[in-house]
Amino acid sequence: MATTKLGFVVQRPPYKSENPKLALTHAIASQSVEIYLEDGDLVTADIAFVGDGVLNCKKDQKALETYGLSSTESHIKMSLLLDLNVLVCKEDLEKFGMTENDIVIDAEEFGAEVEVKVVPFDEISKMMEEMNHLLFF
Amino acid sequence: MKLVAFVSDYRMSVDTLDRLKPEKLGIILVQNGVYHATTKENGNPSSLLNYSADYFVLQEDLETRGYTSSDVDGKVKVISLGDVVDLIFNDYEKTAWL
Repeated sequence: MATTKLGFVVQRPPYKSENPKLALTHAIASQSVEIYLEDGDLVTADIAFVGDGVLNCKKDQKALETYGLSSTESHIKMSLLLDLNVLVCKEDLEKFGMTENDIVIDAEEFGAEVEVKVVPFDEISKMMEEMNHLLFF
Repeated sequence: MKLVAFVSDYRMSVDTLDRLKPEKLGIILVQNGVYHATTKENGNPSSLLNYSADYFVLQEDLETRGYTSSDVDGKVKVISLGDVVDLIFNDYEKTAWL
């Protein structure tokens, strides 16, 4: 029985390229690989937003209404629905003058039980040390 | 020359705007360029807003990213895609995409 830990680190702002959203879709998809695993084996995914990447977490995104795109916000909520560990760098959020009130924190409307955690970079750094594989977006 | 420049990135690695000397300069913030209008880093507005220019930001790209007109710097006018077309055809002779 083994657990493979994947860490997705998002450093870029959303929408200009698909890159940041790919981190989320890959993290979500990682939870559907069970059929390829031995019994008892697990894959976990943690997602961290740092630097300009924290702008992905801005709430009230209207991508669907304006361009017919699923929003990055909705992908974050889907991640919460799958109980993924979603971290946002506190220092980088503060650098942009943003608080927890400005970002998506929960996905209660979908029945998600976990929330986005705003944490100091030290905690994100610790998470990165614990991962088997780190992927930067 | 009357030039309107589209800025579509938040982090810019070129200084093209410093080198351009049009008689009239317009800057339209689109895609991730909208963060220049909405975001202050360490309390400071974007240095892109320091040019002698008329500033515009595309409403659709603002709202896509979770912002509204009330989040926009006072120097910047919020416009629609239709307004962008009007600016290109009526107010400026050349366009540049940065």
